[in-house]
This record gives sequence, C-alpha cells and structure tokens, in this order.
Amino acid sequence: MADSQPRKTDKEVASEFTSYYLQRATKEFAEDLDKVRTADDFKNDAIHVLVNALQQGTAMFSPEEQRRVVETELGK
Amino acid sequence: MGKRFSRGPDAPGGASRKRQKVVHEAPTHEDVHASRQLSQLLAFDQDVARARHGLQSFKVFLNAMLSSSENKNDDNSSDLDRAGILRDYLRFVQPRENGGPEGDEGSQQPYLPDIMQTWSYANQTNNENLMSAVPVVLALLLKVLSRSLEMVPYGLGICRTLLQKRQLELISRNLSTDKGKAFIISPTLRLLREAVSFDGGAVAKPLFRARASTFKSLARNMGIVHMGEEAEDEKKPSPRTTAVLFFLSAIKFLHPEAKKELVSQRDVVAALTRDLKQDPPYLVLELLGRLREGVLMDEKVPHEAKGNLLNVSTLVRISGLYQYRQTEDSKLPSIADAAHEFLVTACTNPSCGVLRQDQGFYPRDIDLNAVLPPAELEELGLEAIVWMNRYKKEIPVRNFTLSNFLPNLRPWASVKQSDLVTAIFKVAPELVAGFFLDNKSFTFDPKLSATWIGYAAFLFKTVTLPLPEHFSRGSGFPQLPPPLVVDNILPLPLSQKALVRCLANKSNMVSFFATRILVVAIEKLDAAAKMYQDPSHANEGLWVEAARRLVDEFCQRIPGIKDMINSYRSIPEADILHREAASRLLRLCYEVTPQVALLAKFDVSPFLEKSLGQLSEQKFDDPRDFAMSLKELENLLAIAGYSPGMRWFSASEALTLSPFTMLLKVCVDAPNGVSLDGIRRVLDFVAVEQQLVPAQKEHPGLLPLLEALQVLSQSSPELVSHIWAFLDNCLTRCGTAPIKYLEMMQDLVGELDSNKTEAVASPLAVTLLEQLPFAISAGDKEVLGALGKFLPKFFGLLVTGGESRPLLDAIYAKIAALFKSSKAKLAHKKIPGDLAFEQNTWPPKERRPTRIAKDTASSNAPSTSEEVMDDEELQNTLDTPDGLTADNSALVKWATKAVDELIDDGYVASLIKLLASEHASIRKEALVNILKAAAKIRESEHEEKEQIWLLLSELAETARAGHIESGPLPSTGVAFACHALAVLRDPLSSLYPKINQFLARGPVWNLDRLPLVDEVLLEEPAVGDSYYAQVNWLLGYLLDGLRTPKDLELFHKRRARGPVLERVLVLAGNPFMRLPLRTQVLRLLYRITGIEGGSTTMTTRFGVVNWLEAQEKACGEKEGDRQLARLYRGLKGRVWRTCDKERVGEWSKGGIKGLCEGDGDV
Repeated sequence: MADSQPRKTDKEVASEFTSYYLQRATKEFAEDLDKVRTADDFKNDAIHVLVNALQQGTAMFSPEEQRRVVETELGK
Repeated sequence: MGKRFSRGPDAPGGASRKRQKVVHEAPTHEDVHASRQLSQLLAFDQDVARARHGLQSFKVFLNAMLSSSENKNDDNSSDLDRAGILRDYLRFVQPRENGGPEGDEGSQQPYLPDIMQTWSYANQTNNENLMSAVPVVLALLLKVLSRSLEMVPYGLGICRTLLQKRQLELISRNLSTDKGKAFIISPTLRLLREAVSFDGGAVAKPLFRARASTFKSLARNMGIVHMGEEAEDEKKPSPRTTAVLFFLSAIKFLHPEAKKELVSQRDVVAALTRDLKQDPPYLVLELLGRLREGVLMDEKVPHEAKGNLLNVSTLVRISGLYQYRQTEDSKLPSIADAAHEFLVTACTNPSCGVLRQDQGFYPRDIDLNAVLPPAELEELGLEAIVWMNRYKKEIPVRNFTLSNFLPNLRPWASVKQSDLVTAIFKVAPELVAGFFLDNKSFTFDPKLSATWIGYAAFLFKTVTLPLPEHFSRGSGFPQLPPPLVVDNILPLPLSQKALVRCLANKSNMVSFFATRILVVAIEKLDAAAKMYQDPSHANEGLWVEAARRLVDEFCQRIPGIKDMINSYRSIPEADILHREAASRLLRLCYEVTPQVALLAKFDVSPFLEKSLGQLSEQKFDDPRDFAMSLKELENLLAIAGYSPGMRWFSASEALTLSPFTMLLKVCVDAPNGVSLDGIRRVLDFVAVEQQLVPAQKEHPGLLPLLEALQVLSQSSPELVSHIWAFLDNCLTRCGTAPIKYLEMMQDLVGELDSNKTEAVASPLAVTLLEQLPFAISAGDKEVLGALGKFLPKFFGLLVTGGESRPLLDAIYAKIAALFKSSKAKLAHKKIPGDLAFEQNTWPPKERRPTRIAKDTASSNAPSTSEEVMDDEELQNTLDTPDGLTADNSALVKWATKAVDELIDDGYVASLIKLLASEHASIRKEALVNILKAAAKIRESEHEEKEQIWLLLSELAETARAGHIESGPLPSTGVAFACHALAVLRDPLSSLYPKINQFLARGPVWNLDRLPLVDEVLLEEPAVGDSYYAQVNWLLGYLLDGLRTPKDLELFHKRRARGPVLERVLVLAGNPFMRLPLRTQVLRLLYRITGIEGGSTTMTTRFGVVNWLEAQEKACGEKEGDRQLARLYRGLKGRVWRTCDKERVGEWSKGGIKGLCEGDGDV
C-alpha cells in the first residue's frame, strides 16, 4: 500500500507512540489512577513517577512495531 | 562584593587578655581626589583610628570603581579619574629595586609596604578591626586590578608580596583566628580567592606551595556556616561560602598534581560537602560544575584522587540534593538536575575513579580463567563448581563504593534516582543481585500506592537492562557458567507469591505492571538462554546443564500459566494495551518456557474469536487502537500455532464465520498502513497445511484470494460483504475434506490432454465450482452478482500466480456454463489474462517460508538448479590440474641448458617432480640428476646459487633417507621443494627469510610433518602485511602436494596443534578472507573428494558437511555471496556423492543424508 504522507522519522514515531501509549493507559486505568492520587504517599515527585511508570511500557515495542501502530491511517 | 562591618573593638596597646568591650564604631572616611592624598591616607600610622580612616577611604574609593564599572550609566570621566589616581598611587609605592619576578622572595621589597606594615602592626597589637580591614582592601584592590590589563603587573606584585614569609604568617593567623570572627576569616579567604585566580591563576602554584599558611584551617572554615532562619544573603557570604569558593577557584587554576593533593585532604573533602544541603543554590551549582570540570573530567587527575573526593559520604551528600528545596521562582537551573547529572557522570564514567571494572555476573572472588579437570566436570557437572551456590547471603563486589552508596537512594520515590540506580546497574551488573539481597525488607506485595508503582517501574527498568557481554564483560565466555543469573533476570523482590498476588489483584493497573515486568523478564531469559547455547563454550555440556537449571529456577519463580490465563481472562475487552501485554506474556511462555505453558490446557479459540470479532466489527475510533488490537491477535495466533487443537474451520455459536475466514476478513478490512505480514503468514500456513492451496515453494499460496478480495473491496466494498458466507462455506468444506477436492481435480486433469498430468491448481477453485450450483439455486442476486465479479479476478490472479492455465480454463468454463444457465452475469467469459497483483507484492522479494509437500513437489524445480552448482560447473570452478606431473624426458633435457634456464624455465622443478614418480628407476635417476644439477648451479654465477644448491642437496638427502627406491617421496615434500625453489629465485619474496631459516635447520627434512605450516599460520609474517600472501603460497603448495591417500594421511594425522586439514578449515572461518583464498581452500576440499576415502574421512573426522553448511549460512544476499553459497552447496553434494554413504549414514544416523539431500541436489 503506497504511503501518501512523507515517512516520519524514528524520533517522531517514538514520541507519537509514547503519547498514544500514555493516553491509552490513562484511559484504561483511569479508575485506578484516581485511587492512587488519593493515596497517602502521593506527593512531590509522585506524578512524575506515575507518568514515567506508565509510559515506560513503550520499551516493549520495537521501533518497527511502534511505527506500525502510529502509521495506521484513519478509515480506508 | 561583600562588605564587612567591623564588629570588633579597637585595641590599641596590644594584646589585652581581658574580655573586650564590643564597640560598633564604623570608621570614618573621606573622598579621594589625588594619588598624593591616597598615599598620605594609607601611610603607616600607629594611630588606629587614622589607619582605619585611611583604609576605609581606600575601600570606599575601590568600591566606587567596582560599582561604576558594573554600572555603565555612571559618569565615565570620574571613573577614568579614579583609575588614574590608583595607577599613580601604585606607581608611587612600587618598590624600586624589584626588577622582575625572579629573586629571593624573602629579600624582596614588598608592594604596598605601608598597608602591609599596618597589617603587621594590627597583628602585633591584636587589633581585629585592622586585621579585617587590610584583607578587605587588598581583596578589593586585586579585584579592581584584575579588570585592567595595564594594572595586572601591580596585581601580580601584590600577590607575590602576599607570598612573602611575613605576609603568609599574617594570612595564617587571620585564617586560624577564633571561629566566631567571621569578619576576619571571610575577607582573608576572599583575598586568597582573588589571588589564586588573578591573571588566570598566575600565582596559583606558589600559593598552593605555601598551603601550610594559605590553606590553613580550610576544613574548619568550611564549617562556619550561615546561621539564622532566612537564607544566606549573597552579598554577605558566610565563611563557609567564601572558603568553598576559594577551594573551587583553586581547583580551577591548579595543576593536576596539586589538585590531586588538595582532594586527598580528607578533612577538606569531608567539610566541602558536609553542609551542602543548606548552601545557597549558586554555591551548590558552582561546586557541582567546578568539581565536574576540574576534577571528574580532568583526565590528568589520577583516578585514585578522584576516588578520594567521590567517597561514599560525598556521593550520599550530593544525592541529598535530590530533595534540595529550591524556590520556585529561582532563575537558576534546577539543583536536583545538576546533582543528577553530576552523580550519573561520577558513578558511570570509569575515568571518574568511582566505577571499577567488574566481572559482570561473576562475583569479585571468582577467577574467570579457572579451569576444572574435565573428568570432575563430567562426573559431577555443576556440582563440581564449589562457588555455584555460595552467594545466597552475600556477594563480594569490586564496586564497594557504589555498593555502599546505592542503599542510600530511593529509586521508587523519584524518577531521577531510579534512572541513576539503573544507570549504575548497567555499568556495574555485579551490583544488581546484591542490591536486592540487601534490601529484603522492601517487598513487592501489591498495593495501589505511588510507592508501589514507583517500585514496579524501577524493577521494570532493572529487568530491561541488557545482559553483560559474555556474562563477564570479557571478550569471550569464561570456562564455567556464572552463578546468580536468575537473580539478575528476576530481581529477588519479584517472588512467585508476590507476582501471583499482583496478577490476581483487583486493580487492573497492578496486574498490568506485573504482566509487563514478566514479559520483559521472559524476553531477558530467552536472551540469556541463547548465550548459554553459544557454540564457543569450552564446556558445552556444563553450560547446557546450567541453562537448564536457570530455566528451571526461573519457572519456579514466575506465576503458573493458570494465573496468567486467569489474569488475561479478567481484562475488560476495551483494555487493549493490557490485553496486548497479557497475550504477549502467554505467547512468550509458549515460546520460551513451554514447560510452564503446557502445565495447563489453554483453549485459545474463544479468545481468538473474540479478538477477531472485535477487529472485524471495526469498533475502533482510533486506527492506532486497531493496530494495537492486531498485535494481540498476532499473539493469539502464535499461541494457536502451538495448540494443535485449534479449530480453524468450525464457527462457534458466537461467530457467523469460521476463524479462518474471519482472519481473512480482518486482513481485507484492515485500515491502510497496517502491517499484516504476521497474520498473512498464519493464513498461508493454515491454507497450505489444510491443502486449500498447493504447497509448492513458488506458489503464491493464499495471496490470489486475498488480492482478489482486496481489489473488490476497494472498488465496491458492499459487494465483498455478500461473498463472505459463500466463501466461508467453500473454505470450510475444502479445509475439512481436502482429499475430496484433490480427487475432483485429478478427474478434471484427466479430462485434459494426457501430457498435462502435472497441472497444478488450487483445490479451492474446485470447491468454488462444486458449491456454485447451490448458490445459483438459492438465487440470491446480490451474492451471484458479487461472485460474477469476484470469480474472474480470482481465477485471473491464480493464473498470474503460476497455476496451470489449461486446468483453470477447464474449471472456469464449467463456472461460465453454470452462470449462463442462470440469469446472473459473469464479468468475463474467459479468464482475464495478465492480471497483476496491486495490493500485494508478487513475485516476492524473498522466498516464502512454506513447507513443501513431497507428493506435489516437482522433482526438477527450476530453483534447485539455480541454487546448487552442478558437477560440471563445480569441476570448472574447483578442479585444478595435478601440479606434480612431469615428463620423464626432463631427465635428459636439463643437461644441455644454461643455469639460468634450469632455474627460471622449470627444468630443475621438473626433475624434482620426478621424485614422486611411481617408477623406482625414474626416481633414482631423478635423484642423481638433481645432485648433478645442484653441483652445476653451485659452480655457476647465479645470484642465488648457494641457496638453491642447499635446497636441492637437502631434498636429495631427504629423498635418500626416505628410501625412494621403495616408494615415491610424499607429494607434499615434492610440492614444497618446487614452491620453495620459486621463492628462492626471488629474494624480495616475503617468504624468502622463512625458507632460508627452514633450510638452515638441518640437512634432512622430516616430511612426516608438512614444512612451514606452523611458520606461516602461527608466526608473524616477517615482512610487512604479507600474511595473506604467505597463506596463499602455503595453500598453493598444499594443493599441489595432495594427490594420493598417503598424502591425505599427512593432512589428517593428529598433531600438537591439530590436524593440518582442520587448521585449513579454521583458516577459511576467517570472515575477512577474500574469495580467491577461500576458493583455494575449497579447491583443496574438492581435491580430497577425488581421493579414495577422502570424502568419508572429511565427513566423519572433520564434520566437513556441517562446516560447508555453516559457511553457506554465513553467506549474505549479495550476488557474490549467492554464488559462493551455490558453490558450498555444490561441494556438499559432491562430498555426499563421493563418500561411503553407508558408513557416513550410520555414523550420522542419517543426518548427513538429510542435510545433503534436502537441497535436492542428489
């Protein structure tokens, strides 16, 4: 299938995939995340820790796999 | 610049021991208008008030200069005036006799004698106000002077004056004065800081040399911190701040040797960071920056000194800065970031003196070179290694500083600290297992809290760290496998109990985190297991045992498959990220730890159906979700591949179509850009397995069907939707009863001409024909209309895909007839020709990895002849004529020739070759003639006559000793002599020295050994980079010397460094070896295949078939490489054809036969 758009750089793909992954994870675990936010130990750096923890799962996807996900087009 | 207010009393009359009354009396001052006035003001005066008045006036004057240069709006002319006044004053008080910087410092006249005298007087009288005032003005003065190039000489003079004995004593006294007298200590430190950095550190060296005075009480002064609630005022720095700034300036300007000494002072280093947390931000940043640039990154400062500075407590204190409280509106960079950057550099850069080279997963006390007796290893296996189970409680490490530092960090509470710890783990893998061993109290029991999530993230990051190369960070694997690998893959807190509880936790996020950790852990185990299987291991059996143990231990630590399945089952349908991770975990279990996966029966069909249903319904708003769900589907398909019970062709109640058709539908409906390779491979695999399509290598498999559906779907999507039910019916029938359709096809083939018996077509095409009447009788116009468009496309593509046109024509004609009988319309009456694949690539760039069914595979497939070299081509490429055949007439021909002709035109060589003759009389004649020729050459004027005579004489002696009357001389000896003769003719040859050394060794050669093999292969090529040239020569003579079974014996005889043939094979293992040399080795092998018993010996004793197989696999995709691979395959075939098949077959239990015949070359 021919590419209609110019090919994204690996960096663009990685950042787009990371934001997709994070957005997806926040959606899936919204309820749990709310609970964590009310936990006693949720202070200072906790929000960074949480975001970092969620998005580190991108390491499980190779650059090619990330590209496959990111470059899927809307509709047909 | 900071101003000091005098707090001490004026104390005229000397050192009264009585408690003095504190008088806060500011000194008076006056404006300075002329240099003469200034010199009068600063003239020595025993009247303290007047002395203070003078110094204060000077201070105000200097401050005005500084502030006007800082504030450009000021009146420029008054600034110039002041500079003129100062210059005139300094010129006036400049010591007359000081010509230059050289000379005895002690005897030199001081600069600013009046001020120095005042200072001295203050000291004698113990007047603290003056003791403070003098360094205040001196520091200011140096600061002013450093800003103007023309004033620098005066400044340098003042600095040198400070280094005079008298002044040094005053400095020392000031520095070590009572702790509470910051107003004396601070200005003195400020003065020293100005001095050490003056003129780019011109006097830093002598200043450090006088460190007994200049660095006096530095550690103590670093401890005099700012007291009070509010933050330290930058304009009134505490003695600590000033002392640290002085220290840092010294670091900046001192030479490496001095820096080394400076940071070796334990008290100073300890004081430097003791109060770091309370220091003002600018000071902390300055300290981190200076230490980084001046010490850490200075390659000339020895590691040891850096290590002294970066001891555990320094590191711990700097890590305390992660919690540094910085005001939010601070314009300065973040202290936590700076500290993090500093610590990462300090802890992971080996040149910073903290990190030591460790042994990877091998604890410090293990000797990597240790070798155990083979008998012991064989008998006891891993039990023979005493340390294998030793490290359950304590692990000795080389990085003790880091090991002591790590427990002070809180990786679960901050991302940066987590990054730091994992960065350290990465460079010092020895610390991983120990870190968790020492932190047992911290469990992984699930709890939905920030700390648990932080800990899970930290563990995830730790598990994703790469394995150290060869487990030991060495260049090769040690002899014995490492201990503790499982603890490094799955850190101790990840116990089975904790993980099971995580997977079963009601919070989806907790089970998601645990699942992800397990995924990366299994992937890491897989990588480790591959390292255990590396072919380079010395004790292969031992490593295999260790790998087994590792996998067993790992399996005991992870949750059971049931827990994983239950966890997967409980994930809501919409949680695609979670589902992807969980399905991947299950897949990895099947792939890497099947012993775990097969413990429970897992019926993947319902999951697969659910996933297919979801994908085919296209419920996703975001196309990326579709792609992510596809990943889950791929995982499930892979699992289905491991489950033999997968029911591809039976639709469950929930689904209208069979899973196979469903999968096909997902492919057809997939959005653009989605890669479907994985799914297509599965479809193809199943289609071939179930005989929907022919199983030939060159057949496009299911591609024509997919292409036809995709093309139709693009032009008119609604049409395709009408086909699915009919198509599913056909696919299911064909998949469940393929034999029926194969037989039907055979009948159709029978109807064709007799010479088309091998015509091939997809059984699916026959099924379509068979089922069409039912569709027609059902009379659904839409279905028939869709089929009318689909069938011509499908059949056209089958033709393009290489199926038999006559056979397809026959089927299509019947289909057309059926359509004709109904009212429906078939788009083409005949199969349209030249249909190209638009959506898919065909023919493929790479060969499709499908299985070849033996019954349908054509015996003379075109690819076979392309990929394997046939015997004739092989012979053309590798066969070389016998280099030692000679005409017997050589015995007489030489006699009439001149010496040059004898040597250069090969007459002597021909004589030599006759020593290998079958006939004893010829050999004897040759020997006599060789001796005669040798004598003739020696008497000649030939430049190399001595060497050639020696060669021929030694050859003759060897021939005599070898009883040539009873048998020919070994061909290797004869070939060596001929090739050596060629070398001797050319003194520039790189082998010339080696041949001469060989000849000088003795009169008779031991031809049981092949001459010069060791010299060429093992010794350095004496001349330049001629290694390959020498190898080429060696291979040339070995090739000529390999003619008979007896010669071959010399090649496979056991020797200290291994048989020669083995060494030749090893030689070609060199990946950098060029084609000509490689071909030479192959020629040698080809030659052996022509010798009786040669192929059998090569196969059974040297594993040459496997060697050829390995070489072939190492070939790339380039044209040259492909040719070479053909050559290897051809040679492999020849070895098989020429060997004793029965013996080899028995020896290899049929393995070699499989290897050689698999290529279809027999």
